[in-house]
Amino acid sequence: MSYTLIGRIESRIVSVLPALAVALALQRWWALELVALMLAIGLVLDTAVYDRAIDYQPAWLALPLGALELALVYGAMRWLGLMAPLRWALALFTIGWLGAQLFGHALFPRLRLEYGEGGGELGRNGALTAVAAAAVVLGGVGAAYAVRPPTIHLHGTVQGPLVIRHAQTLVGGIVKGGILIRADNVTLRNVTVVGGEDGIDVLDAHHVMLDNVKVVGVSLDGIHVRRSSVMIEDCKITSPRGPWVQGIDISFSMDKEMSMVDGCTIVGVREGIVTHMTMVDVAHNRIGATSLRGITMGEMSMGSISHNDVLGAHGVGIICLDHSECEIEHNTVVGTRKDPSGDESRAGVAIEAHFFAKAKVAHNTVVASPGGVAAFDQSTLSR
Amino acid sequence: MRCAIVGSGLAALATYATLRHGGLRPEEIVVLGTHEDPTEVWRTRAASIRQTRMRSESEGHLAAASFPGLAVREALRRGSPAPLLRTAVNRYHPSVREFLAHAESVRRHTGWDRSFRPARVERVRAVDGGFTVDGEGPFPHVLLATGHPGLARPDDYPGAVHAYEPHEYASKVAVVGAGMAAATEWLNALDAGAEVVSIRRREPLRRPLNVPRRFFSKRGLARFHASTPELRAATLRELSNASYPPGATWDEPLRRAEAEGRFRVESSPNGTASWNGVQVIAATGFRRGFRNDPLLADLVDAHELTTHDRWIVLDPDSTVPVLTDAARTLSVAGVAAQWAFPAADTIAGAKYAARAFKRRVCRTH
Repeated sequence: MSYTLIGRIESRIVSVLPALAVALALQRWWALELVALMLAIGLVLDTAVYDRAIDYQPAWLALPLGALELALVYGAMRWLGLMAPLRWALALFTIGWLGAQLFGHALFPRLRLEYGEGGGELGRNGALTAVAAAAVVLGGVGAAYAVRPPTIHLHGTVQGPLVIRHAQTLVGGIVKGGILIRADNVTLRNVTVVGGEDGIDVLDAHHVMLDNVKVVGVSLDGIHVRRSSVMIEDCKITSPRGPWVQGIDISFSMDKEMSMVDGCTIVGVREGIVTHMTMVDVAHNRIGATSLRGITMGEMSMGSISHNDVLGAHGVGIICLDHSECEIEHNTVVGTRKDPSGDESRAGVAIEAHFFAKAKVAHNTVVASPGGVAAFDQSTLSR
Repeated sequence: MRCAIVGSGLAALATYATLRHGGLRPEEIVVLGTHEDPTEVWRTRAASIRQTRMRSESEGHLAAASFPGLAVREALRRGSPAPLLRTAVNRYHPSVREFLAHAESVRRHTGWDRSFRPARVERVRAVDGGFTVDGEGPFPHVLLATGHPGLARPDDYPGAVHAYEPHEYASKVAVVGAGMAAATEWLNALDAGAEVVSIRRREPLRRPLNVPRRFFSKRGLARFHASTPELRAATLRELSNASYPPGATWDEPLRRAEAEGRFRVESSPNGTASWNGVQVIAATGFRRGFRNDPLLADLVDAHELTTHDRWIVLDPDSTVPVLTDAARTLSVAGVAAQWAFPAADTIAGAKYAARAFKRRVCRTH
């Protein structure tokens, strides 16, 4: 196919319709923003690169170009801080890409006989459809922008506890005594919390984003989440005040959207990351010197534990516990120490399934952990 | 009767299918031609050169919409993704059998036989309200798809059999020409055990398709249409040079035969003079230019149509400018429409003219 510039643009915009329909059905601002981002990057490439560089585009070129666009969209998502769950974002991109192939190779040539020889131009009806689709995307992004929560910048140290009861984005600053989140659509970015019982306490809230937060010197949980959905990225939890501190505890959220903990560093607590009755992905975290377990997915939780480093845990590195279903893959567990109690299930076990739990285990690296990978109490490990 | 299609070959069937897709009924269209079976002439030529694969790709079929193409149909029929993978990398060329079977299906489903009337049309004239075709009419919209104006036979070889005529192979064969038909004949004759001499004045071009891909879409056509008549004619002349596709399928057998001393190239027949009983095959294609087509030559003369060199000057939508207006259309399809579409003698070219014709016909419904 030899596209004209107008053909590329019209085809691109109309082909976004399947992804746009899914985004509208999801009723999430991030979905619309993501579709707008996909479209914007595609149009820039069409105009600045493809039209000049590609005189004739064979069908196979859709694969490398799709990969390039995926990389750019992902990079832009990270750069813009778009709060889209990665799996959904990938799914939406895939729908967009497949939609473009389906439209370009089947639907457009059926609906407009001259599609190929017209260089991908869609004629009057196509142009109107393109304008309508672009208007919906722009309208959606505009609406998302108009109703976006206010952004509040904290400077210096604020005496807490701070209670957040309205959607907002809180950026920067140091809060002493903890933060309580009691509203949906709250984002904390680059905030440091010092002291208090729970550093950040989230209750009955949806779409909470904790981005690059630091929690220091708390006496119960670094991040304590109940009946909520959260995305926690790049957090640091250190210097616990007392032996009972947990790094991140997400519990009783099975009926909420999936949560995610990604890229956190947690050191010196009792349990690094623990979940109960929650759907969650735990990935790319570094957890060190825990006194009970590194990562616990417990009490009928479901999710994946992948690409984490668990170092020097006491007793157990990673555990799938109590009827939970876990995918434990690509983790590195080093130096898990034996508990002196003599309990076999705490004898320096790197990865463990316990009490009717089902764990799928693959591609993990286990070093200097005498208990190895083990299942206890009618649980199952599959590899 | 709203439309007349003059000619009954592949371009005529493509046009008929396109008009039917546009909503015209069979009784609104008449097809005037010499062959009830629209594939007959082409099929005979393809069989003569033992062609088994099309040079065209998945979209090279005669149905109105390009999707589903022949690759999709073959994949579904065979339950194999291989044709789809091959078409994704431009390596799919349907078999002649596949193409003809699909053409037959198009003929059947569109109702071609209900509109066909046997006739050898000699004269088309513009009149009030349209055009008369051999005195019949007037038809508001007429498309001329008269096909190639006869086989080109080189004067130097009066006894040569033309590649597009049925023939067998002698033990010594000289093939005149350097295009797709010539290349096919080299391989055919070698396969038949013959010793082959390729007689050609220049090295053949190696092109996947008859015409570079940019000329199949608006991206390349816009520049072509905007060029001066001289430049346009020069482009068409350059594009009409003999070519055949690149690839080992063609090269390997020739290399092997060359090594065995069974294939060689000569620029003149001198080297073959000593051969006794040499069979000369003229793979020299077709006669060129509207002057070789009595109907078109008569039309040009009668209406003093603008021409340039051997081409009738057409608008980009393949219509004859002075004889086309809001109420009537005279379109040209097939090789005679190269002024509008350089690859006019391909299936893509037939569809280009057909779609433009349909747009005009349907606009004046």
